[in-house]
Amino acid sequence: MFDINIIADHWFWWLTTAACVVWYSTVTVYVAVRGVADIKSMLKRLGAGHGGTADAPGR
Amino acid sequence: MTHFSWYVDAPIVGLYLLATMVAGIMVRKYVGKVEHFLIAGREMNVYLGIASLAATEFGIVTCMYTAQNGFDKGFAGATPGILSAAAMLVVGLTGFCVRPLRDAGVMTIPELFQKRFGPRIRWLAGVVIVLGGLLNMGVFLRTGGEFLLLVCGFPPQGAADPGTLGGFLGVHTLEIAMTVLLLTVAVYTILGGMLSVLVTDFLQFVVMSIGLIAVTVLILASPDIGWGRLVAAVEEHHGAGGFNPFVHPQMGWQYVAFNALLNLAAVLTWQTTIQRLLAAKDTRTGMRVYSRTSFFFVCRFLIPGIWGIAALATLAPAAVGGNTLHAMPKFLGTFVPVGLMGILLAAMLAADMSTDSSYMLTWGSVIYNDILAPFRKTPWSEKKGLFWNRTIVALIGLFLLVYGLWYPLKGDLWTYLGVTGTIYLASMSVLLVACCYWKRANSWGAAAAIIFGAAIPVAYLVLEQVWKVEAIGAAGQAVTRSVIRETIGPYYSGIATYAIAAAGMVVGSLLKPRRAGPEGPAA
Repeated sequence: MFDINIIADHWFWWLTTAACVVWYSTVTVYVAVRGVADIKSMLKRLGAGHGGTADAPGR
Repeated sequence: MTHFSWYVDAPIVGLYLLATMVAGIMVRKYVGKVEHFLIAGREMNVYLGIASLAATEFGIVTCMYTAQNGFDKGFAGATPGILSAAAMLVVGLTGFCVRPLRDAGVMTIPELFQKRFGPRIRWLAGVVIVLGGLLNMGVFLRTGGEFLLLVCGFPPQGAADPGTLGGFLGVHTLEIAMTVLLLTVAVYTILGGMLSVLVTDFLQFVVMSIGLIAVTVLILASPDIGWGRLVAAVEEHHGAGGFNPFVHPQMGWQYVAFNALLNLAAVLTWQTTIQRLLAAKDTRTGMRVYSRTSFFFVCRFLIPGIWGIAALATLAPAAVGGNTLHAMPKFLGTFVPVGLMGILLAAMLAADMSTDSSYMLTWGSVIYNDILAPFRKTPWSEKKGLFWNRTIVALIGLFLLVYGLWYPLKGDLWTYLGVTGTIYLASMSVLLVACCYWKRANSWGAAAAIIFGAAIPVAYLVLEQVWKVEAIGAAGQAVTRSVIRETIGPYYSGIATYAIAAAGMVVGSLLKPRRAGPEGPAA
């Protein structure tokens, strides 16, 4: 993974692969934490009857 | 012999399935209106949207064909993912088309078309979307089942005597396993609609991501594979074309141009993607979901692509057999250790279930909202609307079982997905752009775009099968060649479809006499 000559030959794909692993790992943790709050907030609003607009069903 | 263990891996999978089912069913009590069922009452926030969009757009079928791209084309096979991410980022940042679409307050794209092109175009667009979508989805179950059987190392179908119960179960392991999986998904989707889909998507995103990242890190850190061997395998089998799509003999600029159009059209009009925008609590939230999820679309192609390249580096040609689609699951079956295998299987089941549930709900929403619209002369009650939505989702599940699982598909998977997708995407993207930004666009142009957008890919497929000539191969053997494939090819044909659908919209719209009203330029 860290042989500098192999990385230099195909630096674009190495950087993209590294970015995928780092970005995806970070986003997974972040979304896992923040997503729970989103679900709670969504269900709270729906439970309180705020969900939906005045749109009639089956327009 | 694979590393799947019934004692370690199977309980991990079972626990995941139980947690999903419980979470999906628990939220059903919040569904009181059709709008809750179809778009979660427009209460979705950014992070739930990211999780749901990512989970929906990554199924086992995605993993299979992106890994096949890695095996067949090397790193260059991830080009569509980069193009897709670029399209999603630009659309998310600028709001191109998606801002007016979300601002219109509609539940589906055809509903927006009615405002500009009239009820007939809405109905026709609904039919095209549902036909393209359902035919596209028709191959998901079987492909997913094949992956699971190959990774788990179950015997190939037909190995047992179907005359006995044990033999029947052995012969139909794939069908039975995927029927149970589909029933599980159908139960919570029917009960909870979009709310269940969002909550289970969140759980599935986390499980799926853990599996995808863990296996990728294991491959890159493996002393037997690692980055060096992946690069060497691509150089050996594909040369410079394995790193640069423009010099790959099977790709070239036409491949890149076609995929740029295809991915932009999918970002703008693929109904499962758009439904996240429409379920967002406001337009800004929807756009942020798009821009912040965009890089996932690189991961979506590159991560399974690396798995495919690892299969290329490690498997002997005899082990791969004639079908490169099966190379990646065969590799994973022998590479991933016990314990991680359970997490991988749970991750892949999560990927498949989130895709299946969203797709069933999405196509169901278009059937209810647009195709059945002419039959609702007076507004239906919420209770009646919910009943019909649930019935439609159940019928879609039944269709998938019959068409997609028990009826084996003949032919090439990627061609099938590409054609069914293009039939829908070319015309719908042209209609959406014109609807949002061209004042002269009208129903004549819309009808022409839909007809040409569907006719060209269908004509290409028919000619590909019919117009063949006998020729002498390189080794002197007789071979049958498709004239249309070798002279025009799928990429030029695809580019032409978008261009001619756009031309149809322009010419049709200009031919129609101008008049005031809902279709007039003032609308």
